[in-house]
Amino acid sequence: MLLPNDYKYSKEHTWLKTLDHNQALVGITEFAQSELGEIVYVDLPQVGKQFKKDEVFGSVEAVKTTSDLFMPVSGEVVEINGALKEHAALVNSDSFTDGWMIKIQLLDATETDTLLEAQAYESLVS
Amino acid sequence: MRIALFSDIHANLPALEAFFKSIEEQKPDAIYCLGDLVGYNIWPNEVINEVRKRGIPTIAGNYDQGIGLMSDECGCAYKTDTEKDMGKISISYTNSIVKPEERKYLRTLPAHIKVEFQLNEDKLNLLLVHGSPRKINEYLFEDRDEKSLLRIMEGADADIMCFGHTHKPYHRVLPTEVTESTHYRHAINIGSVGKPKDGNPQGGYVILTINADSSITKKDAVQVEFVRFNYDVEKAAKAVEESPLPNAYADMLRKGY
Repeated sequence: MLLPNDYKYSKEHTWLKTLDHNQALVGITEFAQSELGEIVYVDLPQVGKQFKKDEVFGSVEAVKTTSDLFMPVSGEVVEINGALKEHAALVNSDSFTDGWMIKIQLLDATETDTLLEAQAYESLVS
Repeated sequence: MRIALFSDIHANLPALEAFFKSIEEQKPDAIYCLGDLVGYNIWPNEVINEVRKRGIPTIAGNYDQGIGLMSDECGCAYKTDTEKDMGKISISYTNSIVKPEERKYLRTLPAHIKVEFQLNEDKLNLLLVHGSPRKINEYLFEDRDEKSLLRIMEGADADIMCFGHTHKPYHRVLPTEVTESTHYRHAINIGSVGKPKDGNPQGGYVILTINADSSITKKDAVQVEFVRFNYDVEKAAKAVEESPLPNAYADMLRKGY
């Protein structure tokens, strides 16, 4: 499985990639997208909204099912991936890169320590 | 106007014949078929020809699309490996018995039918799809989030959306607040003629009644009747057991799952 080592992972199958200025990108893992199957819509929050760790920030609609999206850490949404509106399937094809969902401003940077490293996440899903 | 809507016959000829008998009694003003004529049972050609000779407007289901294209993939979301293996046998068997003329018919079926009523000051759009307006094989189950159903219907400009694919019938009324009034949309899953999955082995279809005063501003603008009818389940189940199809499909017919 393709699991970037510099990302962190939640048990709810979201990933977090830390950026400069206490910001981070959030998406769902390769495992999550493969379980969901063909994704047809991603319901994302408005920029400016704040969510606590583990709160639902959106949902994914796949052909066979739908699934809520859970925040890996607390944060304020500073950008959403607009490309997903027309091309939700990017989450299937490039879950760790072009299929990112939201960019957040971390509200408590220490929370990232509660997330899993690549190896631990891999053991969780294997 | 009373409109009969049926789908998901899945090559079950005894069920289709019983449906036509039921329709003779119901005498609807119009009939539409929402697809999936083939797969899982032994009579795909017969089912196609019975629908076709009556000139019933029909849209493609995901199984029709798969067979029309001679594909080994029907777009079905099988959950377990056993289901996947059974599904492979069904599509391979169906591909082996569907004749060229019937396959050509499946390949040319339209994806959607839109019926626009202009009864009062406003329009009333009835949209017929197999799975959803955006995907032929999307499963819209009864527990789908209201926000999601509304977004799908608004995106397709549908006031009444009828669909099949899940084989589990339901009717949901979806209110939306607009300036000084409430609009009511209707999401209607019409069930399945030949492979019901709601625990009731009887075949099922819908009679939708549109009245002269029907309007999107009235909650009871349309009436939806879920009709169930008996058919010779044993005949279809035994035919499955005597064919190369997995016997589990016979059990599913007998118990409606």
